[in-house]
Amino acid sequence: MSLNITCPICGKRNGYEFRYGGEDRGPRPEEATLTPEAWCRYVHMNRSVAGVQREWWVHRDGCGLWFSIDRDTRINVQVMAPSTDGQEGDR
Amino acid sequence: MFGKRKRLWNTPSLQSSYDAVIVGGGLHGLATAYFLASRHGMTNVAIVEKRYIGFGGSGRNTAIVRANQRTQENLPLYKEALELWPVLTRELDFNLMFYNCGNLNLAHSEAALKAMRIQVASAQYHGIDIHLVDAEECKKLVPLLDISDRPRYPIAGGMFHPPGGIVRHDAVVWGLAKGASRLGVHIHQGTEVTGIEVRGGRIASVETDRGRIHTPRVLNAAGGYSADLSSRFLDLPLPISPLTIQAMVTQPLKPLLDHVISSGAYHVYANQTLKGEIATGAHMDPWPNYTTGTSARYIKHQAEAVTELMPCLKGLKFMRTWAGLADMTPDMAPIMDGNDPVEGYYMDCGWGYFGFKSCTVAGKYMAELMATGECPPILKPFSLRRFEQHRLMGETAALMEYSANN
Amino acid sequence: MNRLHHLKTSKVHPGERRTLRYRGREVAGLEGDTVATALYAGGVRVFSRSLKYHRPRGLYSLDGESGNTLMAVDGVPNVSAEITPLRAGMRVEPQNVKGTPEFDVMGFMDGLSWAMPAGFYYRMFHKPAAIWPRVIPQLRRTAGLGTLKPDFEMPGRFEEVYLKTDVCVIGGGPAGMLAALAAADRGLRVILLESRPWLGGFFEYREHPYADGSSLHDRSADLERQLESRPNLRIMKHAPVVAVYPTLQVTAFQRGADSASFDERYPEIQAQSIVVATGCIERPLLFENNERPGVMQPSCAHRLARTWGILAGERAVFSVGNDLGIEAALDLANLGMGIACVTDVREDGQAPQLLDELSSRSIPFMRGWVPVKAHGCRSVKAVTLSPVNGIRQKKVECDLLAASAGLTPSTGALSLAGARFSYDSLTGFFLPSTLPDGVHAAGRLLGLQDARAIEISGTEAGLRAAGDCGMDVAETLRTLADEQSTLPGPVRNPKLVMGPVKGSKTFLCFDEDTTIKNVSQSMEMGFDVPELIKRFTAAGTGPSQGAVPGHNLALFVGQSHESPDTEPRPTTVRPPLHPIHLATYAGAGHGMSKCTPVHALQAAAGGRMEKVGVWSRARRFSDEKSAHDEILNVRQNVGILDGSTLGKFRIHGPDACKALQRVYVGDMSRIREGRIKYSAMCNEDGCLMDDGVVVKRGENDYFFTSSTARAGSTIEWIRYHTRYDGWDYHLVNLTDAFGVINVSGPNARKVLQKVTDFDLCNESFPFAAYREIEVGGSIPARAMRLGFVGELSYELHVPSSYMESAWMLVEEAGCEYGMKPFGLEAQNVLRMEKGHVIIGSESEQRTTLHDLGMGFLWHRNKPDARTVGAAALIHTEHQEDRLKLVGFKMQPPADRPPKDGSIIVDGVIRGYVCTARLSPALGEVVGMALVDEPLSGIGTEWSIYEDECQGKLLGAVVAPMPFYDPEGLRMKM
Repeated sequence: MSLNITCPICGKRNGYEFRYGGEDRGPRPEEATLTPEAWCRYVHMNRSVAGVQREWWVHRDGCGLWFSIDRDTRINVQVMAPSTDGQEGDR
Repeated sequence: MFGKRKRLWNTPSLQSSYDAVIVGGGLHGLATAYFLASRHGMTNVAIVEKRYIGFGGSGRNTAIVRANQRTQENLPLYKEALELWPVLTRELDFNLMFYNCGNLNLAHSEAALKAMRIQVASAQYHGIDIHLVDAEECKKLVPLLDISDRPRYPIAGGMFHPPGGIVRHDAVVWGLAKGASRLGVHIHQGTEVTGIEVRGGRIASVETDRGRIHTPRVLNAAGGYSADLSSRFLDLPLPISPLTIQAMVTQPLKPLLDHVISSGAYHVYANQTLKGEIATGAHMDPWPNYTTGTSARYIKHQAEAVTELMPCLKGLKFMRTWAGLADMTPDMAPIMDGNDPVEGYYMDCGWGYFGFKSCTVAGKYMAELMATGECPPILKPFSLRRFEQHRLMGETAALMEYSANN
Repeated sequence: MNRLHHLKTSKVHPGERRTLRYRGREVAGLEGDTVATALYAGGVRVFSRSLKYHRPRGLYSLDGESGNTLMAVDGVPNVSAEITPLRAGMRVEPQNVKGTPEFDVMGFMDGLSWAMPAGFYYRMFHKPAAIWPRVIPQLRRTAGLGTLKPDFEMPGRFEEVYLKTDVCVIGGGPAGMLAALAAADRGLRVILLESRPWLGGFFEYREHPYADGSSLHDRSADLERQLESRPNLRIMKHAPVVAVYPTLQVTAFQRGADSASFDERYPEIQAQSIVVATGCIERPLLFENNERPGVMQPSCAHRLARTWGILAGERAVFSVGNDLGIEAALDLANLGMGIACVTDVREDGQAPQLLDELSSRSIPFMRGWVPVKAHGCRSVKAVTLSPVNGIRQKKVECDLLAASAGLTPSTGALSLAGARFSYDSLTGFFLPSTLPDGVHAAGRLLGLQDARAIEISGTEAGLRAAGDCGMDVAETLRTLADEQSTLPGPVRNPKLVMGPVKGSKTFLCFDEDTTIKNVSQSMEMGFDVPELIKRFTAAGTGPSQGAVPGHNLALFVGQSHESPDTEPRPTTVRPPLHPIHLATYAGAGHGMSKCTPVHALQAAAGGRMEKVGVWSRARRFSDEKSAHDEILNVRQNVGILDGSTLGKFRIHGPDACKALQRVYVGDMSRIREGRIKYSAMCNEDGCLMDDGVVVKRGENDYFFTSSTARAGSTIEWIRYHTRYDGWDYHLVNLTDAFGVINVSGPNARKVLQKVTDFDLCNESFPFAAYREIEVGGSIPARAMRLGFVGELSYELHVPSSYMESAWMLVEEAGCEYGMKPFGLEAQNVLRMEKGHVIIGSESEQRTTLHDLGMGFLWHRNKPDARTVGAAALIHTEHQEDRLKLVGFKMQPPADRPPKDGSIIVDGVIRGYVCTARLSPALGEVVGMALVDEPLSGIGTEWSIYEDECQGKLLGAVVAPMPFYDPEGLRMKM
């Protein structure tokens, strides 16, 4: 599945230079009060949206930066401005 | 024009209520419907399929079947699945083309052989026919193999599992559809689920683009789309990542490769179909998406891998490549569960790339769960709660990167 | 056969004979021939037998659209003879025949086709069940085409090129050439890919007049000269496109000329913009026996003559669907072919001058007529013609039937690029309705026929592509649009693809022997959309994939009342667009391993090198599997190990400690200078990911190690888990910057003291200390005293550039003590005797720190750090029924260990053996196992089940760890 990703430092590159780092679920929760259910939601559960999702990537074969992007999972294209219809994209 | 032939399945109109609605006209949905009707007399069942039956992973897998899993939770399940192919061929009166040519899984290091011994010992302990073999025996089974030290990962040995093999995946789809339809199950193709209504903690109805269906039971058998379906319509996210997995076939040849062959180190499996094509694949793009696009990178990798193992295949040509979705869980084991946390909501998903070999047996026990409301003991380890209870299945020994949750 | 000579368009060199061997006899072709044209000129008419019915098949097309000419060439199966250049000495054999292609014993299969309706194999051979296993071998032998020997070695040179370009033009016909010129003339880098060995497409072989009075052939040659003069334009001929990806990536395979450095190569091209000008192929006309040898596409007959000088018949019937077909008939008549008649699917719309020429040559012309049946067995003898309404029939004798229903656009590349299509009723084409950004279409595939209109569409597309690359092209485009508007637009094409026939021998797909009858049958059974029909009948899934069924399946189904699809839709196109050798994809093969700085020294010392992860490492230094001597030498004397593959890192900056606190379970705020801190990293599940040591080298400045496996992902890991925090720290991967020499054993100090002035005694360099010393007077080394193997042990981290020198110094110093290198297997046993785990060996994905008995490493009193895995460690701390890591010995004692991976059973499986060895130091079997917690108490007895044990179990008992030197005195020596 071909994909291009724009790294904030290196610019647009072949997606295989990057590694996916999961859906954006926000900062780490406090561990002391974390119930198993809440822990599981943070660690394992995915919304797996068929549409635009905000997610993390690292430029593994490049600068090593972790950054988040919006991507339409239906067409596998990074979207610059999150949109609901998902048809506009930068390939 | 040539004398009418009977339709394999009928196209009834959509009723306003059913005893159960199965979302997804793939193998798991069809099998569950068939077993609901044939074993439990529950025939007022609708299968709702957005595209056509077998559109998803059911028609895109490479049709390998085997029962050499690692854990004792999985082994009996897959053993029974293997035994069901001849049974269903007879029941459905449809040739599923079960070809038990045997699977040879290669090891390329001492560590891999040790991992295999766990599998072999466990399977033998469960009465399954499987043996560790050395490199020379591998070569005898598959004369194409290069067992010299020329490959990047020289072959150290392997395990041979004679009762495994391949089944014609399309035949299973059509055979189950035929069987379910004959027993009264309604198959609605081209029908998209647009909502699921829960009232008082119970399933109430399913909304489709062709109207609302009242039902107390919904089975999520949507394969690659199961996680989206669950979180979109029920706000119940699942520990699933939908990943694209690619496969390809070569032009057809006279018999050459007599067994299914696979190698973890090379991320490759290959078998020769009854049509003579060498089907090969295994690679997944490790980021979730719902496209079934292929990539230059992996077909190239596949050619490198398969020709390192079997150099003569360099003289063949790839003629078709395709992709499907694999609904991967962190422990590479499925979720088969129901009535928790929503009464009447059943899940048969998260099968990753094991969905084909398991479809019949999963259908059988999911039907039991849906018909009786009681979870059969064999399904208990596959609950959704295992993830929050820190009870991952041990199917994959190694740490996997597929869920990408680090 | 006498070839036509002196044709300007000819590509063969009459003076240069090239001989191939076909079925043992010599067939002489000419330089410039393909294998198929040479065979055809040599009198071969039946090239193969079909897959299912063993029908004779001949030359039908010239670009590999069908599998009719698949043959074995020099041992390579399924070679399409029509696109394979002739080389002297080739050995060519027919495939899938018993006997000869002309007289195939299996030919009787054709008479049994009635017994093989669509999908018959799903409904046969399974009753009674005992039949099926016997059918399988028969089925396998019948299926398939070519044969390959297990020891076959693919000849040839293969390579790959990875190119970046501004514009990639696919298709070297007139539109493609002009697109390439337009973009190149804007100064852009352009790559033009053409599947044939020459440029020119539909222009190249035709003497038809071009606008300026010259011929299309001359025009094509002139354009090619222009292209070749552009230094920023790279032309890749004989390079069929394999795939186009939505990221504007194009892959192809290119056949090398004799002078090239390769026989086949794989170009992978990343473009900014793509122009697709792939033109058209002919649309097969459907009638009974439409694939008999002697039936071919009109352009096939035309090009055979014009390009290869071969007149394919003496008395031909042309049955065409467009003016190109009429032109071909006329041109061939001029070249000496007898034309019995020309029929045209179309009732009207023919160019008047073509009709005038036909009548001036007294060639009968029949409007609205089509063939309904070809007669003859191994070659065409006659054809029955009929008006499309079927009311009359007329039989005409002929030895060549050139038939087509017009053209079909080659939409594969566009489709893969992400274009969407809709059916256009004027052209009868699937025309692109939406094109993705950066993708442009040009030329004949848009339905254009006028030469100049095709060229302008090419220039327009080239300019639009230049626009994608930032050029201002608006003005030029406007001018061109004005000119284009004065030229003829898309032309009308026949809708009809089939005459009034029954269809039981009317082949929609040659490769899979799929007939119209099969398609109708499958629709009756409920397979009512083209995708399902394709699956059920296998149409379009053969060796040449969708080319012959092409759009015909969709068009035929669209006309049928059985299908719910009123609007025809093409079936999904999948790569490769042209079948490609695995050898070409595999390329040169790049087996790469990382080598440590002392790799050569290790290998020279007898190291048995193995690929371990990305590294090449020494497993043993002799063939003795147990590494017994290496182990004892460490225990009793001293050994040296290359530990360079360990991950090594520096983290520094104000928030460095916070970052370490986040990922390490231990408390990193309490590291004392000069001391090493051993700790572990867990994942969110509390499972062990990595272990290593951390050293504080200064304020906010740490040096730490990871396991070999984690060296490549540790930085990514730390950054990931601190990604929301905005902390200020810097991470440097020093893995390749330092080599590691590990000297272990009771004599380790004596050896090392010889190469350093630093006092190595326990007082100045105690166990678990970190010192920075010099080796050999000037080589800086970061030295640590560790206990992984359980002996007095020093680990020297030496800059890689000094590593070889340092290693040799230490080695020399060790000579007098009998120091020997040891490898991974010895290390594996040494650490196991000490109860130390190796991740992945003694742990699985779900094994927590607690399960490994390493919970003591977790410092729970740092919740502010929000340590990765801490929550799970809290949840699982007292959880029951988990697999626990324990040590065991054999009970009764045994002289051999159970094999690694054996399982522990008591009616059900309770665990498994991770590592077990006969310990050289202890003289007994010891091992580590993961086992259900109720069986993990010291003294608990087990039964161990080995594979192939035939029910004979081994006994074992849980024993305390470490097995060797439990007090840990030896490493503190």
